[in-house]
Amino acid sequence: MLKISGLDSYYGDSKIINDLTLNVPKGKIVALIGRNGVGKSTTLKSIMGLTKTPKGSIKFDGYEMIKCKPYERAKLGIGYVPQGRDIFPQMTVEENLKLGLTIKGGKAKIPDNVISLFPVISKFALRKGGDLSGGQQQQLAIARALASEPKLLILDEPTEGIQPSIIEDIGYAIKKINEWTGISILIVEQYLDFVLDVADEFYLMDKGEIIMSGSTENADKEEIQSKMSV
Amino acid sequence: MDIATMIFNGISTSSILLLTALGLAITFGLMRVINMAHGEFIMIGAYTTYVVQDIFSKNLPESFFDLYYIVSLFVSFGVAFLIGVILERLVISRLYGREIDSLLATWGVSLVLQQAARSIFGAQPVNVKAPSFLQGSIGGTTSFSYVRLFIIFVMVICLLGIWLLMYKTSFGARMRATMQNRSMAQCLGINTKVMDCVTFGIGSGLAGIAGCSISLLFSIDSTLGTKYIVDTFMVVVLGGVGKLIGTFTGAGVIGISNITLETLTSASIAKFLVLILVIVFLQWKPQGLFAIKSRSLDE
Repeated sequence: MLKISGLDSYYGDSKIINDLTLNVPKGKIVALIGRNGVGKSTTLKSIMGLTKTPKGSIKFDGYEMIKCKPYERAKLGIGYVPQGRDIFPQMTVEENLKLGLTIKGGKAKIPDNVISLFPVISKFALRKGGDLSGGQQQQLAIARALASEPKLLILDEPTEGIQPSIIEDIGYAIKKINEWTGISILIVEQYLDFVLDVADEFYLMDKGEIIMSGSTENADKEEIQSKMSV
Repeated sequence: MDIATMIFNGISTSSILLLTALGLAITFGLMRVINMAHGEFIMIGAYTTYVVQDIFSKNLPESFFDLYYIVSLFVSFGVAFLIGVILERLVISRLYGREIDSLLATWGVSLVLQQAARSIFGAQPVNVKAPSFLQGSIGGTTSFSYVRLFIIFVMVICLLGIWLLMYKTSFGARMRATMQNRSMAQCLGINTKVMDCVTFGIGSGLAGIAGCSISLLFSIDSTLGTKYIVDTFMVVVLGGVGKLIGTFTGAGVIGISNITLETLTSASIAKFLVLILVIVFLQWKPQGLFAIKSRSLDE
């Protein structure tokens, strides 16, 4: 589904990611884990085309998209939930959701399975996005990304600053949507227990490079933990 | 001057202010471009009206003459829209996020446009003749001229149109999304460059309609825009940047207090007093009448 190879990525003038290779197989949930500031978010931004990527290749469904603009990548079928969620604060929940339908155009509707996964959203349809709590905003951001029924969903730290009960809901939603629609998911996370439970495969990143990878089933949690601690 | 006349004049002045400020509410209020060339788009609209009138009177029989004004309302929007789009592509699009630079650049553009108008139309002011259906007035001792009533009508239509476009269509939602968070809008598949360009064009086009409207009241020359630039910025800033309702209220407050103070004192003292009032008010509430409140902005 998504194949990144030999990718360098720059934020301004500083090189954040060096020669990255990463695969997200079709229908799988892949986790990208690592400490703060090692380049996880930058990897996701590079996939969306929000950073400078002078070298390397990002293939989506076999299509080379390294030169594509962010909005073109979204149209190819990538849903993105950024860190900090980036809900449009002055727009209603409903308007935020409908913006997720942009690439579908016309009279497209929010898929029922998305609505059923996030009941909180229909409850607050007419509230301003900025008035929701962090957890609600997170759920709204995921629903917005799923509205256009993308082939790949990328999530940047969906558990950050969110209370445990909602983290559980989010984990459930991620697994369910993957199960129902066969969507591939790439998820950046620091919360190990959560992500090893949700994901099928993992990549461990340090200083802009992948230092370990494998399936989460046989993953040695302690080894990962030790590599993640400073 | 009796009370009814004073109220009518206040509303008329406010509607002219609002009409001229509406475009700026978009280019400055929504897009945050300090657009010093806004006044020149008003001028472009006014000169367009003059040109359309000229074409009608030279090429069409007399009986069609009145139609020219209706046509020129649309043409002035179109011409200002196009020039706005060109300006956005050539200059503004390179200066997003650099407010001071955009101030200087658009000021330069305004000088260029003024000189262009002088070169094309000459330094002498030109006049537009009101169509026959707008000549005259109703009422006895307190008379309301048709032209001023018509401008109020145009203002209401423009305000309503913009409100519907911004808040009731998916295009408007994409436009607001782009202005609120450019990179997230892109990640949802919105071509933000096109959005910027069209939005700036709409703001400019509205200024064109304003120019077309006020050409009925005043003669047109190359300095027409400079008369409005300060007032329009004042309206948008007083109302609260980024809010349509703010611009509406700002225009009302400034227009009505202007006329009231003018009746009580004199025209120049009134202008001075209004400016002082606005300055004092902004010291007290720098965000304007309608500040945007939101949890995410408090962080």
